This record gives sequence, structure tokens and C-alpha cells, in this order.
Amino acid sequence: MSRTSPLPRAALGRPWRPSFLVGSLGAALALLAGAWGFVLLADDARSRSALSAAALAHAAEFAGALLGAGSDAPPAFLQAERWWAAAALAYETLAMSVLAIGIAAIGALLTVTLAARNVARGLLRPSRSPLWPALFVVIRAAYIFSRAVPELVWAMLVVFVFSPGILPGALALGLHNFGILGKLCAEVVEDLDPRPARAMRASGGSSAQVLAYAVLPMVLPQFLTYLIYRWEVIIRTTIVVGFVSAGGLGRDFRLAMSFFHYTDVALLLMVYLLLVLAVDLVAGGLRRLSR
Amino acid sequence: MTWPPRQRASATPRRRPLDGRGVLTLLLGGAFAWSLATVPWGPDLVHPGGERAIAQLLAAALRPELSPPFLALALEASWRTAAYAVAGMTVAVAIGLPLGVVASGALARGALSRLGAVAATRGLLALLRAIHELVWAWLFVAALGLSPLAAILALGLPYAGVLGRIYAGLLGDVPEAPLRALRASGASEWQVLLYGRLPQALPDLLSYTFYRFECAIRSAAILSFVGLGGLGYQMQLALDDLRYGELWTLLACLVALVVAVDLWSGEVRRRLVA
Repeated sequence: MSRTSPLPRAALGRPWRPSFLVGSLGAALALLAGAWGFVLLADDARSRSALSAAALAHAAEFAGALLGAGSDAPPAFLQAERWWAAAALAYETLAMSVLAIGIAAIGALLTVTLAARNVARGLLRPSRSPLWPALFVVIRAAYIFSRAVPELVWAMLVVFVFSPGILPGALALGLHNFGILGKLCAEVVEDLDPRPARAMRASGGSSAQVLAYAVLPMVLPQFLTYLIYRWEVIIRTTIVVGFVSAGGLGRDFRLAMSFFHYTDVALLLMVYLLLVLAVDLVAGGLRRLSR
Repeated sequence: MTWPPRQRASATPRRRPLDGRGVLTLLLGGAFAWSLATVPWGPDLVHPGGERAIAQLLAAALRPELSPPFLALALEASWRTAAYAVAGMTVAVAIGLPLGVVASGALARGALSRLGAVAATRGLLALLRAIHELVWAWLFVAALGLSPLAAILALGLPYAGVLGRIYAGLLGDVPEAPLRALRASGASEWQVLLYGRLPQALPDLLSYTFYRFECAIRSAAILSFVGLGGLGYQMQLALDDLRYGELWTLLACLVALVVAVDLWSGEVRRRLVA
């Protein structure tokens, strides 16, 4: 982030407004200096001690412990039954991620048309009632709040009501991703080609008919793309939510860390990596199907 | 984690009922039904006192903790979270950019060396980003102790994985003609990179980096759950002590921070990639 002048664009004669960007560059540099100054100077003792010889030796010891050094018992990742137990947890984690993306998708689908500007006050507006712009504001605010609160915070709130397991984790992930999917999909509706809708309107189609025949068929493919993309992100996050909601791989990862069972940690990390890679492969296949 | 690929929505012609998209719909519906079936539905699913706790929590939203000492604490926690995000992003760019350049295959001349370099760096980037930042954080805390360095590295490594992959794509996608002109006048691959690829991709590179900075703020807030200080840590303390008023103040700080960075980065990106 050191240079800002994109020469090709300036050369093409596009409108170029340097003032805001130059100010942003200055702000970014000030933030950089402030942040590193704070981390290195204000937190002086703590960050310097992390680079001492003793700390590095401890780090090396930890890395060795992950691989089973310094322990008489055979490491967990060399025992078949441990792999089976971890696979069961991976199954639970996978279910949690699918449930989460399902919850987020249903919530977003139910609200998304009302959260698009062209539906609230543009061409696709169902009626002149002030209800639609009001609903637009409410839903957009809900999107902003739900995605600004991290999954983990949602999880801590959800476990107040639900007993630990798959459902609270999925709810927490679903709540966070509801805001993200909603925003992404609302933008798709806003970028919609308006001509088919206009033609239907002109020939007397009702709002419901316009929605069903001129809006949904055009936006659903892009919704699916976003859905698959968020699923890939969610599967990485399920382990983290599991720390709190006590479901799947996350729960056992937390327990193994607390009890210093480091070879178990290594095994769980391997299963987690395999799960993430498998989901990426499946998501790639699904993406091909959606084309 | 792919950069959301955007296609222009276009009208689809009438299709047979079971083409790829029909199969996909069935698959997704089936998967969701299966996930619902794995939940042990029953009266045990809900905590007995849960509704009361939630009612108290929601009631506390009307009277957030606003005493000056607590506000000072919340501001300090917000700044710490932002500082970790900025420092983590620096590490991510410092690692992600060189790896991205190699992964784009821009520096290799021969087909074989290009294939080897690309495959090796792409694998490394995939490994870095496969592990969630909080898992990295836990590992780094176990290895380095509760140091800000653990937070910065935990944020920097997975973000380097994402940045590197996207940078590689952006550097590979620049228009070829200027590069050919540079090569024709005798430029080395390094010179083609410095004077051809980087300047052409720069607006997109900066734009994407700013987008990830938004995400880094959120990530930095949750990193503190492993004890690293910042907003998430304070939230955890507030929840543990059932001081819901403090929780709402901290949540407001986090939302304000995220929305502020969101708006800033949105404005920057709109101007960069107009």
C-alpha cells in the first residue's frame, strides 16, 4: 500500500479524483505507524518477550509436542480408532455447516427482494405505499447488524437459549451469514436488467407475476454462486463456533488444547484440513453444475 | 475463500426440468433436509432458564453501560482491535504479495519451472488459508504466549493465503499487449513484472486489500477470545460476569468500527475500480 497513482486510468482520461484517495493514503500510513507503534512500544514488554530465546525454545517444544515428541503414548494420529472418532466429529461439523448455510439462505431469500432499492422505491415497487421504503430500511439495518456481529459473539449469545450441540452453532453461523448473503443478493437484484420486468408490467402483470417470472429466474443463478462461496467460508468457521457452542470438531479441539493433549490437536487439525479441502472440491463441482 | 465472482444476471432460456441446475437444487434441498435430521429435536434443545436470560439481555440494550471509566476501556479495546487488524494486514501483504507473484507464474520462463513454482506456492497458500485465524491464534498463543505478536501472526498467515491467491489471479489477468511490448524491447521478466503487470493490476490489488482490511477488523475482534485483549476479550468478560449493559456498549463499538471501515473502504474501492 505504498503507491496510489494508477497510471493507465489517468492516461485513459477517466475522471480521476485524487483528493480523497491521497487523504486515504495519508490516513492509512498514519494508521500503520500508529498500530505498529502501539503494538511494539505500548505493549513493549509483551511483544519483545515473545522473541526471546526462551520463548522460541518453548515454541519449538510446542511444535514437537504436536508431533508426539516427549510423550510415551503413541500419538493419536497413528491410532485408527481415533481417526474414526474424529471422522464422526467431522460429520457433525459438516451437518452444522449445511444447516447454517440453509438457515442463512432461507432468511436472505425471504427478505432480499424487499431489501433492493429498485423494489423499495424503483421500477419494481409493488405499490405506492410508504410501507416498502420503511421495510427496506429495517431489513438493510438488520443485515448490517447481523453481519457486523462476529459468528463467535452470536454463538455466545445463542448458547444462552439452546443447549450445546449442532443447532446453536448453526444458528450463530446462520445469523452472521444472513446479513452477508442478504447484502450480496440484494445487490444482484439491484443490478438486474429492468427490461423484462418493464415489459411484464406494461402488459399488465401483477407484482407477484413480475417477481416470479422476471426477477427470480434472473437472479437465482447468482444467488447460488454466492451460496456456495459462503459455504466454503462457513466450513472453515464451524470449528471456531464449535469452541463455544460445543459441537463437532471445535469442541474436541478446545478440550484437547485445555488438557495439553497435543497429538490429539494435531489429529483434529489434519481432519479439519481434509474436511476443508473436501468441501472446496465439492463446492467446485456444485459451481460447475450451476452454470 | 474465493472473491465472490460476479456474473451479469442474464435471462435463462427455457430448460428441461432436470438439467445441471435442477440437479443442484435437489442436492441442496436434500443436504439441508439431512442437516435438519441430524439435530436431536426435543425438549432438551432449549435451556430451562434461557428465555429469561435472553429477556434480561435484550432489556439491557436500553441501558448500555456509559460510565466514563468503562467508555475509556471500550475505546482502548477498540483501538487495540484496530491496531491488531492493521498490523496483521501488514504481515499479510508482506507475505502474500511475494507468494502471489510467484504463484501467478509471472517470473518463471520455462514451462516446467513455472509449473513447479505455481503448484508449490498455490499449495502453500491453500494451506495458510484453510486454517481459520482463531485456530492459528490458539496455536500461536500456545507456542509464543499471550503476546500481541501471536495475534498479528494469527491474522497475518491466513490473510496472506487469501491475498496471495487473489493477487496471483489479478496479476495473471492483466492485458497482455503491454507485456508483449515490454518483452519485445528486451525487458526481463522482473522488468515486465515491475513496469507491466504491477502498474496495471495496482488499482485492483489495492481495492481487494482494502476489502480484506474490513474483514480483518472483524477477525481481530474475535481473535481476542483466546485472551489477546481487545473488544472480543472484553465482551467475553462482560458475558461471564452477566454485565449485559457493558456487552451492548462493546457491541456498539464493534459495529461502529466495522461500519466506519466498511464505508471508508467502500469509498476508496469505488474510486479505485470505477
